[in-house]
Amino acid sequence: MAAPIRILTAVPICDGHDSAINTINLEFIRHGIEVVYLGYHRSVGDIVRAAIQEDVRAIGISSYNGGHVEFFAEVVDLLRKKGAADIRVFGGGGGTITREDAAAMRRKGVDEIFFAGTSLEEMVKFAHQRYGKPRGKRSRAKTSDIELARKLTEIEDGFSKSKHRSPKLQNAISKSATRVIGFTGPGGAGKTTLIDELVLRFLNKDRQLRVAILSHDPSVIGEGALLGDRATMINSQNDRVFMRSMATRGQAGGLSPATHDCLALLARSGFDYVIIETVGTGQEAMPFQKSGIVDQTILVMNPDYGSRLQLQKIVMLDLADIVVVNKSDLQRARTAHTEIEQRLDQNRRAQRLIDTVAKRHRDSGVDKLFGLILTSDKSKRGKERKKS
Amino acid sequence: MSKLGQVVESVEKYNQFVLDEVKRARTDQKFGRDLLGRWNDIKAKIPTTRAPTGLPLPRLALPEIDEPGEIARFLFGEGLPGEFPFLNGAYREMYLEPIREVESFEKNGESKASKSDKKIPQAEEPTRLFSGLMLAEDTNERFHYLTRHQRTHRLSTAFDGPTLYGIDSDADGVFGKIGEGGVAIDTVEDMVRLYDGFDLGSANFSASMTISGPAPIIMAMYIAAAKRRFGASVVPKLRGTIQADIFKEVQAQNETIFPIEPSLRFLTDMVEFTTLEMPRWYPISISGYHIGEAGSTPVQQAAYTLSNGFAYAEMFSARGIPVDQFGPRLSFFLDCGLDIEYIALARVSRRIWAIGMREVFGAGAKAQLYKLHTQTSGRSLIAAEFKNNLTRTAAELMLAYMNATNSCHSNSADEPFTTPSEEWIRLAAHGQAILLEESGIFKHTMNVLSGSPGMKAVERAVEAAILDEFREIERLGGVLAAVEDRYQRSQIQNASHRYEQQINDGVRPIIGLNRYRDGSDEIPEVKLARTPRKKQQLQVGRLAKFKKKNAEKAKRALDKLAAVVESGENCFPELLEAVEVCSLGQITGRLQEVVGRFRPMV
Repeated sequence: MAAPIRILTAVPICDGHDSAINTINLEFIRHGIEVVYLGYHRSVGDIVRAAIQEDVRAIGISSYNGGHVEFFAEVVDLLRKKGAADIRVFGGGGGTITREDAAAMRRKGVDEIFFAGTSLEEMVKFAHQRYGKPRGKRSRAKTSDIELARKLTEIEDGFSKSKHRSPKLQNAISKSATRVIGFTGPGGAGKTTLIDELVLRFLNKDRQLRVAILSHDPSVIGEGALLGDRATMINSQNDRVFMRSMATRGQAGGLSPATHDCLALLARSGFDYVIIETVGTGQEAMPFQKSGIVDQTILVMNPDYGSRLQLQKIVMLDLADIVVVNKSDLQRARTAHTEIEQRLDQNRRAQRLIDTVAKRHRDSGVDKLFGLILTSDKSKRGKERKKS
Repeated sequence: MSKLGQVVESVEKYNQFVLDEVKRARTDQKFGRDLLGRWNDIKAKIPTTRAPTGLPLPRLALPEIDEPGEIARFLFGEGLPGEFPFLNGAYREMYLEPIREVESFEKNGESKASKSDKKIPQAEEPTRLFSGLMLAEDTNERFHYLTRHQRTHRLSTAFDGPTLYGIDSDADGVFGKIGEGGVAIDTVEDMVRLYDGFDLGSANFSASMTISGPAPIIMAMYIAAAKRRFGASVVPKLRGTIQADIFKEVQAQNETIFPIEPSLRFLTDMVEFTTLEMPRWYPISISGYHIGEAGSTPVQQAAYTLSNGFAYAEMFSARGIPVDQFGPRLSFFLDCGLDIEYIALARVSRRIWAIGMREVFGAGAKAQLYKLHTQTSGRSLIAAEFKNNLTRTAAELMLAYMNATNSCHSNSADEPFTTPSEEWIRLAAHGQAILLEESGIFKHTMNVLSGSPGMKAVERAVEAAILDEFREIERLGGVLAAVEDRYQRSQIQNASHRYEQQINDGVRPIIGLNRYRDGSDEIPEVKLARTPRKKQQLQVGRLAKFKKKNAEKAKRALDKLAAVVESGENCFPELLEAVEVCSLGQITGRLQEVVGRFRPMV
């Protein structure tokens, strides 16, 4: 089966009109497209960086606040400048885009402009026809980001055709100095926000430090997906952060069939930290068990997990190195902390429990978690690897 | 229970009180007689006026009742215009033209009367025109053009995208957006140019600024600009409105730049300052318009606007600002579309606000008023056969005035496909004048269209639905908790989706689109007034000069500002200092370092 089309969508800077793009996103997804949604009020730099890292086929921009002729042209120009002209640009918007504007935009390299009143079917048809064919031979990658992004695409799309891992990659892992941190936990616990807050701290700590993020969202084989973590991760849209969003493409357990190989590639690509985020998981999930690449696992929990008995069933509570109770400003958080603490005591391992409010700027709990990640014993990593 | 829960209880209690008074009027003879006496007094004091045709009419129309119970139901349940609970109007006479002398008709016949007509002094126009384009001097020129025939100068200002998001014209990727859709303001110097030639301290002048995220910074620039031109003594005389509505931004419009809590704190800092120092300023316009335009139902619009208002009142009270000082400085802004709810949406809102403010916040008469600006619905206008939009807007205007809105803006028919052009702006403004000045509907008699059985039925249904919304928000922990939980946002998006679906399915007829469509969808191709590149470069150049000139001072001012923000004290006085030497983007950037950036809710 052919790999799904990946498209990045966004609303330009100084524009908060996200109603149309939300509708279009859903329509694309319903028709088998994987949409990486960057959100509204996004700069040219953010859009182009994201498109390159995600190695999408095209960028769809929905513009309502004017300045579109310049904005679209700047996106096209920056893509060219970065050596990524094979990522195409299309878009549309409200009444402020005239036919004359659209003609000017096409001359500047935009594939298509849709006017108000275009049917959703038309847009979907356009995306499939224009971006659905397999890519031809691609020119040599101009930057390391592009090279990395393309390799990730090769790995990911390779799994759509066959399910075998390439053994070469597996062997190459252990030599890197990169630390790999795995985040998992139920949907809505605040994993994405927490990671973004940690990334902000990484970036501020050391001006040279580079981070990679591998984030996951669920999808069924052959269908589309909304890959929306970038819209939340405002601090991670940075030149020192390489982020890749992946759909699970039918695999249960929180990760994609291609995750292991993609992670292995990222782990030896010279980043200081590689962060992997699973989709929201269930009680039985143990997503990092088999991979053997993750150095440290963090389970992010919501204080609202149900009865105390439910805690006994959560497998990750046995396996995680650190358990975070996020949203600890909620009333139930103290009870949750006490109950989880007792649950962890049964394990008699040096697991840590931390309370955070990730949505709060400069939250002291997140600071504490960050400190813990920095000081975690690196030698532990070797031991754990042997065990697993 | 949050204050919103108490508001629900107070409205229920008040409704019960009205029923009790109705009963008492029927059973307690003395009370009944007193009421009847009062009723007859009221009727006796109503002046008579004349239509231009000579027809005599009362200035105020009252229901034809003479039974004490019904009189109680009217007086306590609705109130006369200008009287609690203000169902029929915030003020006694609203759009009425000054009285025509009855005697002049009777004694001297029609010729004399027509002479006296000419002397009729005109009240202030309730019409508001919204403008903002290119650079400050261009908008200034436009303001002078728009007000050339106006007795009062009420300027409504639109800002460009970069300004609305608190960033500078030299920021990455915003060049094409400078001066688009509104005026570009980076510094206090731009603000001086924007209102040049207008007497900011005059009672005939007021400035309205449609901006929320960076509102405290823009407010500080306005004050600083006024001081530069007229000296510090002008500050208490400044009149106008700044939107500054954070809740609706998060719920609907997406122009939030700081996280919710610090955004609310900066707002409260500003409100505390203006309430004390600028008694004529409206520091917040609690807006349902953008909620409605984002696709909410009318009930959602009214309910979220009111509950946001009560949440602000709770915040300002908690800061220690007396309710009778901030209450009269709150104003509201609603959308008016074509759904049946709009026949009474603002009437019901006005009543709930008055009851809640009096009973829960202990507000005096002036702080109970729901002062309302209405705009006709932009969303109801469509490109197909766009001239139909004139009829849509006219019907909406009618509904808005039936709700006794204090001021109104009517949309241009060409809005769905372009920035409104002069011709259609004129027609939109004239629509209001035709209703209020040319037609006799609203100028002779108050309550001429209130109190019909249908209107009352809608009032009851709408009130019950609004209170249900309040209960749900209360259940979620109050307005702030519900906002953080994305409750209102999700409800609005859901309603919007349903609306579109109904249009698609034809359940919701849109003439010329899904009904009586004749296939000629020709939209006139219009040339848009775009900001020329040269102007955009000029703005960037000015900003660079300002930054260079103030580089040293800006650094110190920003450090001081950051320290005050960290300390938790009111930072507005410090903002007033900072805007003298810092640009909007510099201040926003520094504040974001301290309090963080807004994380979009997706």
